[in-house]
Amino acid sequence: MVRYTPVTLEEALRIRAEQDVVPYAGGTDLMVENRKGVTYLFLNRVSELQQISEDDTYVRIGSGVTFTQALKSPLVPDLMKEAVSHIAAPAIRNAGTFGGNLGNGSAKADSVLIEYVTDAKLRIASAAKERTVDVDAFYKGRKQLDLESDELIAEILIPKEGLDDYYYQKIGGRNALAISRVSFAGILNKEDGKIKRIAAAFGAVADTVLRYKEIEKMLIGKTAAEAGELKEAFIQKYADTMVLTRGRVSAEYRKSVCCNLLRDFLDQMI
Amino acid sequence: MDALNFVLNGQKVSYEGSANDRLLDVLRDEYDCKSVKCGCKEGECGACSVLIDGVLYNSCCVAMGAIADRSVVTMEGFRETERFAVLDKAFAEMSAVQCGFCIPGMVLAAEALLSANPHPDEEQIREGLSGNLCRCTGYNAIVKAVGNAAKEGNGLW
Amino acid sequence: MEKISQSVVKKDHSPKMGGRSVYVADYNTAKNGDGILTGKILHSKVARARIRGVEVPTLPDGYYYVDAKDIPGDNNVNIVLDDMPVYCRDTVEYIGEAIGMVVGPDSKKVDRILSEIKVNYEELEPVLDLRTAKEAFFNYEYGHGDMDKAFAEADHVYEEEFETGYQEQTYLETQGMMAEPEEGGSMYVHGSMQCIYYVHGAVKRVLNCEPEGVHIFQDVTGGGFGGKEAFPSILATEVAVAAKKANAPVRCVFDRREDMEYTSKRHPSICRIRAAVKDGKVTALDCDVTFNAGAYSTLSAVVLQRGIIAAPGVYNVPNIHVTGRALKTNTSPCGAYRGFGAPQTFFAIEMMMDHIAQDLGVESLAFKEAHLAKQNDPTSTCGKYHFPVPVQDMINEVDKVCDYRKKKAEYSKPQTGRYRRGIGMSMIFHGAGFTGSGERDIIKAVTRLHKYADGRVEILASNGEIGQGVRTTFCKIVANELNLPLEKVFYDHPDTARVPDSGPTVASRSLMTVGELLRRASIKLREIWKDGEEQEVEERYRQPDFMIPFSLEKFEGDAYPTYAWAVNAIEVEVDTLTGVTKVLGAYGNFDVGTPMDYNIVMGQMEGGFLQGIGYSSIEKMDYDDKGRIRNNSFSDYLIPTTKDVPNMQCMLHVEKFPDGPYGAKGAGELPLVGVPGAYLEAVEQALGGCKKHKLNHVPFTAEDTLKELMKEAE
Repeated sequence: MVRYTPVTLEEALRIRAEQDVVPYAGGTDLMVENRKGVTYLFLNRVSELQQISEDDTYVRIGSGVTFTQALKSPLVPDLMKEAVSHIAAPAIRNAGTFGGNLGNGSAKADSVLIEYVTDAKLRIASAAKERTVDVDAFYKGRKQLDLESDELIAEILIPKEGLDDYYYQKIGGRNALAISRVSFAGILNKEDGKIKRIAAAFGAVADTVLRYKEIEKMLIGKTAAEAGELKEAFIQKYADTMVLTRGRVSAEYRKSVCCNLLRDFLDQMI
Repeated sequence: MDALNFVLNGQKVSYEGSANDRLLDVLRDEYDCKSVKCGCKEGECGACSVLIDGVLYNSCCVAMGAIADRSVVTMEGFRETERFAVLDKAFAEMSAVQCGFCIPGMVLAAEALLSANPHPDEEQIREGLSGNLCRCTGYNAIVKAVGNAAKEGNGLW
Repeated sequence: MEKISQSVVKKDHSPKMGGRSVYVADYNTAKNGDGILTGKILHSKVARARIRGVEVPTLPDGYYYVDAKDIPGDNNVNIVLDDMPVYCRDTVEYIGEAIGMVVGPDSKKVDRILSEIKVNYEELEPVLDLRTAKEAFFNYEYGHGDMDKAFAEADHVYEEEFETGYQEQTYLETQGMMAEPEEGGSMYVHGSMQCIYYVHGAVKRVLNCEPEGVHIFQDVTGGGFGGKEAFPSILATEVAVAAKKANAPVRCVFDRREDMEYTSKRHPSICRIRAAVKDGKVTALDCDVTFNAGAYSTLSAVVLQRGIIAAPGVYNVPNIHVTGRALKTNTSPCGAYRGFGAPQTFFAIEMMMDHIAQDLGVESLAFKEAHLAKQNDPTSTCGKYHFPVPVQDMINEVDKVCDYRKKKAEYSKPQTGRYRRGIGMSMIFHGAGFTGSGERDIIKAVTRLHKYADGRVEILASNGEIGQGVRTTFCKIVANELNLPLEKVFYDHPDTARVPDSGPTVASRSLMTVGELLRRASIKLREIWKDGEEQEVEERYRQPDFMIPFSLEKFEGDAYPTYAWAVNAIEVEVDTLTGVTKVLGAYGNFDVGTPMDYNIVMGQMEGGFLQGIGYSSIEKMDYDDKGRIRNNSFSDYLIPTTKDVPNMQCMLHVEKFPDGPYGAKGAGELPLVGVPGAYLEAVEQALGGCKKHKLNHVPFTAEDTLKELMKEAE
């Protein structure tokens, strides 16, 4: 039986291009799925993927960075830290990675929610080329990713600007070891008394994380007073637009939590 | 393909099987590490917790390919240490062991916690053990035992 | 603290702590050359069907398919009635029912064969709705007083319905059993279990052999909580038949999903209560209790008995009428679970009393206090509370610890804002030991003490260590009475070939009933003790003289010799945006008589209390319109973690029982029983009380809470 345990990204990409392999990052989702007859490409020794760095515009988190590693890093924004600190429990956070969270394709992925709300980009690499894609474009549908069979997610690029003004809430079934039933993240930046940027993302409610940039525009450029007046219409717009998937916990419940949290976000941040 | 080498409880070993095999199964079936318990095979209970390079993992969620050249410690190895002796005494004094099934994993979680944070407060202990389900104790005795071990074992961690 | 209560290092501490204890899954497999075959069950995929045929592929050498045709004796698992088959008869009655078993050396091959078997089902309409189910396995009725008069004269008549869901025991070690044919033709069965003699009786009958033809050993058992009372008899008979056919050791260990879906759970229930109130007092209670038994009767009779006896709660109400039934549905048979029918009925009566008080505009705790039964008052079944009832004192102790009365008053004021608080209190008893004359007429417990020439004493009894500490507490009793160091007394895991039948490890009976036999046996041994000689003494159960004989036909007399008591207070904070409820504090006061070991008893109380909180809040399990359990994994069925109830405080109130060892009473089940009433009362108060939101079911999840709040918005 073959075994792929590359130590460089170049080697990993070469194997990825030449073989039919499933990228294995932390294993916490793959081992539960327990797919038969697949060959894993083990990425846990590729140190290039395990770096956290920053440039003028972005915090750059390697796809192989674990949640535990991120929690210790001074570079990772608080909003992201808060979200990953609520993931499962220490052993899972020690294994689970940012790349794996993305690659699993679940709308319940707690780090992916933050990537949506911060307009993060993903650097995707293959042996032949490299490209950058917006996180919301990366998710094409339920478990459908914009990732070719020769590509790997290399890095997550989180824009640094304005991340301090955030709101985050995860609703799990209990206080630890809980998969999100609803998660919500919001960012609201103001400049000269007007809303400069607003972002609201909802996790675990549909096939992908939901974010509606068109609706967000309703409040951009508005003063607090104006936004306050538009608030109920704004929330209603979300209520009318969001289509939730069915689950163990009812769609009605999850939708009302979404609206409640959205309202609370606006009340606190406007 | 070469055999997969790793260190198990301080001994170098070579695994000849598939890289896809589950560490939990391999530890139990090939290396007779029966302290590693299977509670769910989904990373949801912590009964199969082991230390890999000193870090806590659920061995049910680790494929063998991921541990090449790394060091795995199970209770079979940890029980020979001085740190274990301190935890052992603390758990005994609190009668924190009931059915025992969660205990090897729980104790390794305590070891991982204390290694990272030798003087945890109660909240930190509860966080450190939060991936290890116990249905018998209600956790109070275990949490107290870990706190007592941290005090008793001052300097060991 | 009395000497006997002082904690010691548990006898099983060291091997469990070091991971050396051998659970049934830990014996080496065939792959390692030890010749144990893996058995996996072919479970029914439909809730109700006639089996037209089973197509088994050609099996490789050393592999077997086992089903009902291979059973040498009766195809009946002996539990209470004879309806549960080992392997299905011509129909299957629930999803998961065993149709057969595939056995072989390589578990992966066994899986593959299992997936290739084709079962030809002729599907039949299953009964899944408890409200429309008609077939009753058991029907009971009892009462006293003049109900018609009480209701005719009432100032108020209240009627309400309460509902509870499944609860899965969720022991960390799943069900597992192994059977090994022995030289000479006998069958050795061992595994995870609470009751070796139940398994013995079941296997003997299925293999159609003499008692000596079977012997049963309890392996180290990773938790039971009732779930390993009856189900192991089923699994044991299945592996025994397989081992007989293969003539080799066969082991079947359930995976978590199998265990959650197909093994016994707590009975879902519907309780309707009608209450007559005159001059501010409840004068009559009419309770109607329905339990969802599942597809076979298993233990439902006895679970229902305990449930209906508890239906009027801890209150002395002059007129009582109780009916109860266990109905058949095409779902997994429900069975024993810590509390055994009583959590359901206590929940109903506690909520009912609270709701009546709220409607009358009186303080709920004061209203309950005014109805508390006292020593010498009649019980629901016209027995008697022979011993002091400490509930009032226990309430005051809880009040002192958590400022209950003050908080209750404070939280009853209108609350606004995102987070709202409430507190609730419940008071319950747990009848110690078997219901009625079960100990005397059915169990007839026997224990022995064997003294070796070197002065060590071995306890011979059939009660299994399942984490509750019985290997330690039994030894403490004997060591104390014989004035021996604890190391000189030992109690190994029981084997039917070596120990007498001291009864099953159930009903919070081991310590109180068997412990007392051991104490008396120790006295006997002390009196005849001769150094250097091997000696043995035996002791048999005697029913306490004071008991009013219990008639199961009339439900009349002392259902229990005495009662353990609990008062629980739970304080919560509800997040009105998400419905998530945080437990701010959980306070449990428990009277189990003299603790035989303080730490062990506290461990039982804390563990049971947290299970009760889980039952009330997050542990939701349900089946779909095909009868399939949806919440079949640890990510779908959530039990509390270390972080869910950090502030849980248990305390002990000691009211000694003269017929228990040193005053001990039953302990294990008590801490779970009262939680739902306290929890839901607290949530209801946080939502503004029953006039705004009348809550009546558990588990009460975040979703349920938010639904209530949404009603408010409309």
